[in-house]
Formats: sequence, C-alpha cells, structure tokens
Amino acid sequence: MSTAEVPVAARRGMSDNVRMRLQQLAAFAGLIVITAFFAVASDHFFNYDNLVNNILVSTVQIGILALGTTFVIITGGIDLSIGFGIALTGMMAGTFLITWDLPLGLGLLLTLVVGGLIGLVNGFNISILGMPPFIATLAMMLVCQGLPIVISDNGASIYFDDLPAFQDLSGGTLIPNFPNAVLIFLVCAVIAWFLLNRTLFGRYTFAIGSNEEATALSGINVKKWKIIVYTVAGVFIGIAGIISAARIGASPSAGKGMELQAIAAVVIGGTSLAGGKGTIVGTVIGALIIGVLNNGLQVMGVPQEWQYVILGVVILIAVYIDMVRKKSATAAG
Amino acid sequence: MELNKNTDPDPADPKVAAPPVADDRYLLELSGVNKSFPGVRALDDMQLNLRYGEVLALVGENGAGKSTLMKLLSGVYTPDSGEFYLRGRPLRVSGPRDAQQQGIAIIHQEFNLMPDLTVAENIFIGQEKPSGGFLLNNRTLNRRARDLLERLHLPLDPRTPVGALTVARQQMVEIAKALSYDAQVLIMDEPTAALNDAEVATLHELIRHYVSPDTGVIYISHKMDELKAISQRITVIRDGQYIDTLDTATTSMGEVISRMVGRQLNVNAKPENVHGGREVILSVQGLSTHGLLKDVSFELREGEILGFAGLMGAGRTEVARAIVGADKRSAGTVKLRGRTIDPANPAQAAKYRIGYLSEDRKRYGLLLDQSVTTNIALSSLAERFSTAGFVRDRPAKAAAREYVAQLKVKTPSISQITKNLSGGNQQKVVIAKWLLKDCDVLIFDEPTRGIDVGAKEEIYGLLNELAEGGKSIIMISSELPEVLRMSHRVIVMSEGRITGELAAGDANQESVMHYATLRPDENAADAVELGLVDPADSDNTHQHGKEA
Amino acid sequence: MTHKRWKVATIAAVAASSLLLASCSKASDNATDTSSAAAETSATAAETSAETTAGASDSAAASDSAGASDSAGASDSAGASGSAAASGSNVEPGCVPTTKEKPYIAIVSKGFQHQFWQAVKKGAEQEAAKEGATISFDGPASESDVQPQLDMLKTALTKKPDAIGFAALDSKASEPILKQAQEQKIPVIAFDSGVDSDIPLTTAATDNKAAAAEAAKHMAELIGNKGTVGLVIHDQTSLSGIDRRDGFVEWMKENAPDVKLLEPQYGGGDATKSADLTKAIIAANPDIAGIYASNEGSAIGVVKGVEESGKKGINIVGFDSSEAQMTAIRSGVQAGAITQNPVGIGEQVVAASMKALKCEGLPDTIDTGFYWYDKTNIDDPKIAAVLYK
Repeated sequence: MSTAEVPVAARRGMSDNVRMRLQQLAAFAGLIVITAFFAVASDHFFNYDNLVNNILVSTVQIGILALGTTFVIITGGIDLSIGFGIALTGMMAGTFLITWDLPLGLGLLLTLVVGGLIGLVNGFNISILGMPPFIATLAMMLVCQGLPIVISDNGASIYFDDLPAFQDLSGGTLIPNFPNAVLIFLVCAVIAWFLLNRTLFGRYTFAIGSNEEATALSGINVKKWKIIVYTVAGVFIGIAGIISAARIGASPSAGKGMELQAIAAVVIGGTSLAGGKGTIVGTVIGALIIGVLNNGLQVMGVPQEWQYVILGVVILIAVYIDMVRKKSATAAG
Repeated sequence: MELNKNTDPDPADPKVAAPPVADDRYLLELSGVNKSFPGVRALDDMQLNLRYGEVLALVGENGAGKSTLMKLLSGVYTPDSGEFYLRGRPLRVSGPRDAQQQGIAIIHQEFNLMPDLTVAENIFIGQEKPSGGFLLNNRTLNRRARDLLERLHLPLDPRTPVGALTVARQQMVEIAKALSYDAQVLIMDEPTAALNDAEVATLHELIRHYVSPDTGVIYISHKMDELKAISQRITVIRDGQYIDTLDTATTSMGEVISRMVGRQLNVNAKPENVHGGREVILSVQGLSTHGLLKDVSFELREGEILGFAGLMGAGRTEVARAIVGADKRSAGTVKLRGRTIDPANPAQAAKYRIGYLSEDRKRYGLLLDQSVTTNIALSSLAERFSTAGFVRDRPAKAAAREYVAQLKVKTPSISQITKNLSGGNQQKVVIAKWLLKDCDVLIFDEPTRGIDVGAKEEIYGLLNELAEGGKSIIMISSELPEVLRMSHRVIVMSEGRITGELAAGDANQESVMHYATLRPDENAADAVELGLVDPADSDNTHQHGKEA
Repeated sequence: MTHKRWKVATIAAVAASSLLLASCSKASDNATDTSSAAAETSATAAETSAETTAGASDSAAASDSAGASDSAGASDSAGASGSAAASGSNVEPGCVPTTKEKPYIAIVSKGFQHQFWQAVKKGAEQEAAKEGATISFDGPASESDVQPQLDMLKTALTKKPDAIGFAALDSKASEPILKQAQEQKIPVIAFDSGVDSDIPLTTAATDNKAAAAEAAKHMAELIGNKGTVGLVIHDQTSLSGIDRRDGFVEWMKENAPDVKLLEPQYGGGDATKSADLTKAIIAANPDIAGIYASNEGSAIGVVKGVEESGKKGINIVGFDSSEAQMTAIRSGVQAGAITQNPVGIGEQVVAASMKALKCEGLPDTIDTGFYWYDKTNIDDPKIAAVLYK
C-alpha cells in the first residue's frame, strides 16, 4: 500500500457518493452535448418523432442486452452470447407461438425460460466448471448462432403477421404515441436498477466483482450467485429476443454483432471491465449515446464508413475521459 | 524447509507455566491433526490449545503450517485426521459461513474485503437480513454498522467505500466484520503486516478490549516485539509440527526465534559507522510534489545504507517514486554524481543506474508466472540479451545462473516459475534483476515485507554485502528495528517533510519516533521546532534534525 | 455446502440437456415431418392469399425450371430479363469424357444459412438427382469468412471430386487452390459471382448490375422520374453489394437525371439495422419518394422502417424474395422487387459440371436470370416458380 494513502483516502472517502454521481453526470453531459450538436447540425434531428420513434426504438434491443450484461461485467465477467442469443430466443418465440401455436403468455414465458437457460449454461460452465467467461460465452455464442438455423426451416425467418398481439409488444402504443418497445425497455431498466441497488442479488454482484475470494470467504456461495447473474443476463436476452421478433420477425441471423455494441454501451456508461463498479443509469445513458450517434450521423447523411470511424473515436474518447476522471479521483489531483 | 529438524527443544520445557487464567478447560483445543497435500505433509500431529481469556501467539516461519491450520479452522480444508474441541465439545467446520456461526472468526493476512463496497456492506456481507429474502435496506444496514463500530470504538463511517480507506482502517473493518458474529475465538493472521507502530498500538488496544473471560485470540505474527506486548503464551510450530508452547513473560524473544528457525540468530548487529568522507552519489535538493512532498533534501554516499523511517503516509515511498520519475516533481533537483538528472519514468532512471524495488514485489517487481531467468534478464533484455529484436537465451541463462549462485537464491533450477519460490527468494530474484542492470543506487521499499525471519537475515546480509561492494542503498522500512539495525544514517519523515536525520549511533526507537510524530502542519510547536514558522528560515528544513 | 453445489450442478446439467433436447427434437421434427410442416405453412399461405397452387410451388419450381434448363440451357431463363448470355465454347484441352456412373461434384458456396443459399442447394440437389450425380454443398457462416471458405475449398479438393462448383468470396485468394484443381484436371464451375481467373470453365450467375438497373428503371417509373430516393444497401465491400448499388445509381444518373439519390446507407443485410437506417433517412428527408433495398434483409428492414415511420406513399423497391417481402408486395406496402433465380443457379452449376465431364462445350457465362415481380405478376406461375421463402 502506498504511504500516501492517508491524505488521499480522507479526501476520497468523504466525497465518494458525490464522485459516483459526478461520473454518471459526466456520461449524461456527454449525451446532452452530442444531442445538442445534432440538434443544431440537422433540422430533422430534434423532434419527438425522431427522438422517440427512431432513436429510442433503435436503442431498445442493445439497451436491454446492455442491462443484463451490466450485471455480468460488474462481476468481472463478460457475455458474448447475448447477440446471437437474440436469434435463438427469437426463433424459439416463433417456434412456440407460430409453429406450436401456444397461447401468447405461455409462449413468452417459455421464451424467457430459453433465455434463462442460455445464461444458466453460461453460468454453469463459468462457475462450476471454472471456464473463463470469454471462452465459455464465445462457445455459447457459436451455439446460439447455429441452433436457430437448426430449428428453422432451412434458415427461413418466422413472421408474426397472424399474431398482432405479439407484434404489439414492439410496435403497439399502450401510451399514445409511445412505442411499447420503449416502455418495456424503461420497465426493464427500472427492474435492473432495483435488482442492482436494492437486493441481495445486486449486493453480491458487486461483492463478487470487487473481490471474489473475499466474498467466498465471507460465507457467500459465490458459485451459486454467479450462475444466477448469468441466468438473469440470459433472461434479458430473452426479452430482447422477444422485442426483436415482435418488431421484425424472428430471423436466424438477428442480433449479429449486437453483443459488442451492448458491451460498448456498458463501458461508455462507466462500468469497469475489471468488475466491482457500475451503474444501471450509466448503462442506459451509454446505450442512448450509441443510439443518438447512429441516428444523428445517418440523419446528417454522413457516409457509412465515416459513421464507423466516428463511433469508434467516440468510444475511445468516452473510455479515456472515464479513465482520466478515475485517475484524478484516486490521485487526489 | 531447509532447517534441521533434529534440534527440537525438550517438550517437557519448564517454561510452560501454570495458566494465568483460572479455568482448567480450554476454549479451543486441537490434537493429533494431520493434513497432507499431494507431495507435501502440511501438518504432522499438530496440536494447539487456547485458554479462555487469553491471547495466544502462534509463530512459525512461512511454510510452517500456520495457514493450513487456519484454513482447517475456517472449513476451507478438511483435516485428514485429528480432534477439534470448542468449549469442550467436538467441533466440525464445514465452511467459512459455518465457522462464523460456530463462533470462530478469522482475519486473513490478505484482506477479505470488497474494495468497491462500503464499510457497512463489507461488515455485514452474508448477514444482510434482507426483508422478503432479497430486499435490502441500506439505512438499516448503516445503522447496524454504526452501532457495532461505536461499540468497538472504531472511528469509521459506515458509508465509506472500503477501497478508499487506509490499510489500517481496512484492518479495522476486518475486525468489525469478524466481531459482528459475536465470535468467541478470534484468529488473526499477521494483522500488523502493513501497520505502523501507532496503528499497531491501536490494534492491540482493540484486542485487549475484546478479550473477556469468555473469549480468546490466536495471534499469528512474525514480529517478536508485538508478541511480547500482546500475548500471554506463544506456541511455536515448525515444518508442520508442533514444537513448543512458551510463557511470554518468562521467555526471551531470541529463544522464540531460535525455536522457530532451529538455530540462534544475531538480531542485534549494528552497522559500523563509516562513509563520512566518501563520494556523494545522489544528491536531492528541495524535492516537492503536488501531492505530498515538501522540500525534501538529502545526500546519499557511496557504500552507504540510508534508512528512511516514518509513519504510514509520511511520504517515504513518494520520495523514491519522485526520484525515479514514477511521480511528477513540482520542484527540486536530483543530482547523480553532480550531474542533474530528471528521469521521466523508472525506465529512464534505470538507464541512470538507479533501481527502485517496489514494496509490492508481486505486483510491480516480478512476472510471477515466468521463470527465474526471464525475471532476472527482463530489464537487461534490450541491451544485453538480444540481437535485432531476437532474444539470445544462452547469455541470459548464464547471467541468471551466475546471480542465482551469487545471491544464494534457493531454486531447483533457473527455469523454475517464480511464484513457486518463497518470498525471500523472490526478493532475491528482484535484486538480481537490478544487479544485472549494474545499478549504482538501489532503492529498497520494504525489502523484507512478507519474508520470514530466517530469510530476512539473508536479505540483510545481502544488503550489507552490496553496500560494502560500493553500492549506495536507500532502504525504506516500516519496521523500526530493521531500520535501526541496518542503516548507517536514518532519515525520518512526517507529512511529506524530512523532520529529522540521525546518525546510526544516535538513532534509537525514541529519537526516531519523536521526529516521526512531529506534525508541523497542525502543531505550531512542531513547526517552531522545525523552524518552519520563520519565513526567513523556510528552506532549511532538513537541517533541523539536530544531528545532521 | 458440497451437496448444495451438486444440487446446483445437477439442475444446471439437466437444464442444459433439456435445451439441447428441445432443439434436437425440433430438428428431427424437421427431418421427419418436413412434408407435413411444408403442407401446414403452404396451407396457411393458401388461406391468406387464396392462391391454391402455391402449396405446390416447391415441387413446381423444381420441375418447371429444370425443364426450362433442359430444353434451352442457360439462355431460356435469362430471356426473362432480356439479357443474353455471351456464348463461347470452353472445353478442357485433352478432355476425356468421364466414365463414372455417379460423378461427385463438390460445391463450395459463399454462404449457407441464408435462404438464398439454401435455395441454390435445393436446385443443385434436384439437378444432381436427375443427372445421376452426387454432390456436397458447403459454405461459410458469413460472407466475410474468406479464410474458412478457402479451407472448405481445400477440403473439397482433397476428396478428389470429379468437378467443383465454386462461388468465390475472394477470387484472388482462391486462385492458387483453383490452380491445383486445374492441375488435377478437375473442371471448375464458378457461380453467383465471377472468379477473376480463367480457370473456371464458365460462371453461372445473376448479372447483378443489370438486375439493379432493372430495379432502378421500375423505381423511376413508380416515382414519375423525379423525387428523392434513398438506398439501403446490404454490403459496402462485397461484389454483389457494389454491383447492386452501382447498377442502380448508374442507370438513374443516365436515364432519370431529375431523381435525387441520397448517400447510400449500409445495413449489413440486417433487418433491424436496416429498419433503423430507413427511419433515419425518412426523418432527414421528409420529401422522400422511394427507397431501394438491395437484398432480402435490407428489404424487410426498409418495409418495417417505413411502416414504423407511419409515412405513406413511399415506393419501396426490393431485392431477392422472402415471405415477408411477398406479404408486403401483396399488401401494397412494397411496390415490387427483383428476384434472382437461386434454384436455377444451383441447377446450372450441376448441369454445367456434367457437361464439362462429358467434354461438351460451355459458354463463358451462364446468366441465370432475374425477374421483376410486383402485385400484378406475383402469382404468375413462371414468377412463383423462382420465388423462394
């Protein structure tokens, strides 16, 4: 331990709550700045229709995946299976609701169970068999890439045109002019926040990411809780899969590459890949930053190749700012 | 261990005196405990007994079996055989949680805290008492923590994240956590490894406060003076075997050590006082940093061991870091043989042949998963062991072999993975790395931390040899006896300033502690003593060590 | 603690195997009940569209186009688009007609999981059954997997096939392996997109540029030769993506100068992403008159995006075929689409291989043709035959 710790710690300790809030504030400020920029740069960006129906709707799937992944990343793990998990859970939703013609409620429940199973297997492999999360979930990603084609009819998508009640989960408007998909995302965010901040589950999630061995020696069944963390992340995959299927139909290639966008959202939101730190509000803001950037650049008519470059640069900047801020906080600057 | 087993003392030693606490039964009793791991007999017919209301010290070199014993008591391991009794009743422990519930609390050497959680969250982890099975109420939790901390007289805010606390305060959290279970047996493994003397005193106060006719403490430590201060009896183990239990009041520490290592050690060697006329190698003037250091000035001569003493947070490590460029200086100059240098980072400092050996060698000093050769050769790869980017193995191995022999590193081969070596031998590997780099100035930060007594002696011998061979050494240490014993001169720091400089002959426990506890920023009298209040005098801080 | 851990372990294991079982049983369902499943889907399709012959579309497609290629070879199907195949006569020098009873043709495609490739596979299998050949059909998981595809090609070569059908993802990279094939006197038939090499005896492919030009022509007609048109392209780097973009853009510039083309956007063929792109395009260009989508996933996304935007009167011209596009065309959300003839491509690969093995001459290219379909001709048997779901 550094001998300089006394004065540093005194300063840090007193203001830690403030520091946490500042961190979220900074991400939020970034979101505001980006939004303001596009509002000025394009006449067509800053209106309700574009903000809600376009940006929020396009953020929903990545956002929901990011919510679940936040728990995983706070434990110090990673989940790569979430992207193609959308394909698998979506196709399973199609199988339950269209091919097997099950009642809507039961079909949705079973789809969430499938999502939970993906996470459960991840959790089992990581926690009980001791595989590194990157490898275990990479393998599961491949499984989730292949199984949807296996259960499909030669790779064909499943459509829900005959099941408008299901499609309404995404496109319907329980609140006038406010798509249900966005509503579901908000509800998921509130649930995730509650789970992380107000329950034993959340507390142990932080504890495991902070110091896994110490948590185990404190009498916590770390293996069990890690399995639960991945399973919860899996349930969020199921929700995202349902939204995706309800919006566009179930496709065996849905969700490709979304895992990286979701992880980027979590990281932009200030969650540490090393574990132990993270917030749900940050993740939501991170997802929104990605959504606003995608939409704003498209609305401005920026060529696609530059959109990639700009998104990459923004991620670098966000992570760098976060690093500098953390460094200045620890160095008592 | 390499030590001779046949020097066991007579088990019927008369020093096992009558118990000071009047109770004929034991609080905790172990006998005939055996535990083997593949290829290793960790515990061999081990025994131990703890009386009601006593502090029992448990000593033994690293690898003697202390950790294994602890892990048996906390249920992490299951014994191969042996009898365990708690309050006279057979004891079986199935896991950490079970141990806690049966009233055995263990504070491990490596803290078992979650740095990102708050004090309250850490204390009550696993016993949150959530409503409905999973709902948490932070307000209740913080109140429970506050009650507990008040009861224990611990000055902590339950809402502070533990990672923001000093080591000493983290230790307090560990104790509060252990005591939150109403433990009857408290086991502490090296609780003072990272504490300074004042903090150790606070800890001992806490322990005395805790011990009651109903409870007992097993206190594991290497530090003999602490055992004297806190324990009633001392149980010595060696190589997995029970050696003896001695009555603290009537036993000399030299005796305890000789039982531990199986031979007599020279603990009171004093360095000869020379070097006054030798060449000044390193000269530091007015060194300051934005964080902590204020106007630090001193000189280091050829062949000298310069000790840096002070309390935790005094700024000793920061001086080293500022010299080698790990931290940015805000003012001041560093001269090497009269030439001003300003290394931007430790790598540049190494080019000037200044080596910094971090206090945390496992994190900053070694590639634990790599071989001894790789570690020794690492810093010199570019200049000495590579051609056009290709590593030349043979000369690297030859160099490694040479230094392993010279420093007597105990390793089966130079391709051994470093993490399999003992702490002392790991430290030697780090030293070898810097010697290979041909450094003239070596800065040792806590060179014997986590190293057992026998190996410490070897490191001390090595430092003396290096100094005699003309190397200049700065030794930063929190163990005062070590500083006093090794240093030709002692510099004492407090609050980022040098508050005193003592020649070896004048340095003793009292004089060092006097300067270490000066608080010029808070205490006007101290500032006057250091001459800081007189503006005309503001640049001569270092001269106020009267012996300088 | 120990027994609890085992409990968790057992639960997890059971759950894992149940997941696998579920998918396996579903898979075997497919295998054994394909006919009944197909009957079910076609039955529902029949109900909604009142198109009674659609149920037989699969088999009809097979025999129909097989018949077509039989009678007039390549030029017949190409005739639909009006472009004629250039013809030459490529016979391997020193060719010895095969005497094998059941020649083996190894086909390495650009993809596998997409319906398009599954349709190619189906065509190849049908033709092989007819001609008495055995085939294998492999393809990488995605169209960016150049290296895996080369590995598949190498593996195919080690199996000593009598002929190779190959759709190159990267024609330069595959050249050395194709050379080996040439040395071993194994005829190579390229398909889908050309291989930049003279080793293949012929290439059976859709002329993507011509097809995209056809799409542009229909788009111009739909919007009255003026207005703003957006482009949602499936890929920025692959040949098919580039050709379908450039063919469309070039035709417009030449023939409809009043049409304002927006910067092309690329959705990777992902429906969700394409939908979001479409909505951004509409938000930025409230006056938009039409949107062109360059493949199936893009088209589904564009349709969805337009629907979600609530904007009426946007003309959508798509590419390829799928149930979703067909539904959208029937309901009027989408104006129409260009479809390739993947079943025909598969058939042509096998047919050309057989010809090569018999030392018969082959043209340089075999245009497998494309078709414009919209509400008016979607149920036309000739069109229905080349549509795939």
